[in-house]
Amino acid sequence: MVKVLVADDSETILLLMRTRLELAGYEVETAVDGQEVTERLHEGEIGGLPDLLLLDAMMPRKSGIDALRELRAAGVDTPALIISAHQDAADANAPRDLEVNGYLTKPIDFDRLLGSIAELTR
Amino acid sequence: MAVIGVGRFIQQRQDFEDAIASSYRVEMAARVRLAEGAGGGAARAMVAAQANRRSELRDQISSDTRDTAILVAAGLIAGLTGALLLFSGLIASMRRPLEELVDAAGRLAGGDRSARVAVGGLSETATLGAAFNEMASELELEASQRDQLDRLKDEFVLTASHELRSPLTSVQGFAEILMLERDSLTPKQVETVEIILDNCRHLVRLLNDLLDLARSDAGRLAVTPRPTAVAPLIEDAVRTMRGQTESAEQLLSADVEPGLPLIDVEADRIRQILVNLITNAHEYSPIGASIEVTARVVDADVEIAVTDNGPGIPDTQLEHIFERFVRGDAGLTQRVGGTGLGLAISRSLVELHGGALAVESTVGIGSTFSFRLPVAGAPPAAGSSPAIAEAS
Repeated sequence: MVKVLVADDSETILLLMRTRLELAGYEVETAVDGQEVTERLHEGEIGGLPDLLLLDAMMPRKSGIDALRELRAAGVDTPALIISAHQDAADANAPRDLEVNGYLTKPIDFDRLLGSIAELTR
Repeated sequence: MAVIGVGRFIQQRQDFEDAIASSYRVEMAARVRLAEGAGGGAARAMVAAQANRRSELRDQISSDTRDTAILVAAGLIAGLTGALLLFSGLIASMRRPLEELVDAAGRLAGGDRSARVAVGGLSETATLGAAFNEMASELELEASQRDQLDRLKDEFVLTASHELRSPLTSVQGFAEILMLERDSLTPKQVETVEIILDNCRHLVRLLNDLLDLARSDAGRLAVTPRPTAVAPLIEDAVRTMRGQTESAEQLLSADVEPGLPLIDVEADRIRQILVNLITNAHEYSPIGASIEVTARVVDADVEIAVTDNGPGIPDTQLEHIFERFVRGDAGLTQRVGGTGLGLAISRSLVELHGGALAVESTVGIGSTFSFRLPVAGAPPAAGSSPAIAEAS
């Protein structure tokens, strides 16, 4: 089963993502911020690397952008989608050199999100 | 000097009259003695001497008077020259501070809030300069407070828009999950969820519009024009709106002139304008109305227009419809879900592309909103420059 790691600082958003993605047939892991994402990936807590990362751009402690930058520096090339509250934040925070597979804005267009996930984990 | 001259003249005149009077008295005494038969030769000599003396005195006084007149005239001339010098000095000392004031006032009016004058010169111009500086300082303070308020407002809109998006995502997302299982819902429940979703979309539009307005106010609303084909843009906007117009049994059609040149625009922004205009036409027109989007070449530009055969806009409202939060007549728009921001934003976006959003409307006939966009590769502002018009 394809595994997706979702990080967002809102419990409700995490529940929404889990519900919707599980309905679409994905296995879902969640993290509350970028710090948890990097720690768990480094410590190999997640049984095998996820097939896709779905990270909120702005989170306390460590943002999705910073977490992804750290993972890329450590050689993790898992496809990643960044979700931002609005385009401004994505524009402002997205470094051109960072390998991101796509940006989505809130509120999430799930048809688009599921399309992107299917494409990136094919 | 003239005063001294006049004083001297009076003194000389006095002395002269005293001397003449004393001469006559001496002569009179001599003549008395002659009449009494006394004195003889000596008295006669005295009478003759007094006549001579008076003649000398008269010569003296006329010479003195001439000298004094010259002195007085010279004094007057010197006085006038002095007064002139003093006066021109006075004017000069007023003129420089006044010129400086005029210059500073001009700079202040032109937006240079740091414009000040050096306080000096006469007490009146110094007072004026100090008053000007005080006024300029107050203006500068007010302007900086206003700038700070504007920044706070922008920050607030940005933060509010950001913070509202997460709960909105949840509401919309869970409602969509309910709709995935609509088969197990009652019709009443389906209708309820649809209302939730409609209102979510409305909130998203409102948030996007508010963000655009805040950006526009902060001068940060920018477009990145690229050569773009017109027909797919219009088809895309029409496709987006078709569901809504069909639900009101309205006929939405597009008529694009064949062979249109590419236009120099940011596609997303033009789509946004078109969706705004079609949404207005849809919401303000009755069931069964027609809405047509047209595109054609006018002069050197491409003109895009959205026309409806709805109720039209009364003249009294026409001049206000581009203002933010202004909506059509309430009686007419009970069911209208717009934000009142669409036209204000659309107009800003059209202007950022170098065009102008125009409206023509007749009550009972319908409305047309139109705007012109530059053709890709054309020199900027082609239509407005005669030199370029001649060249083309």
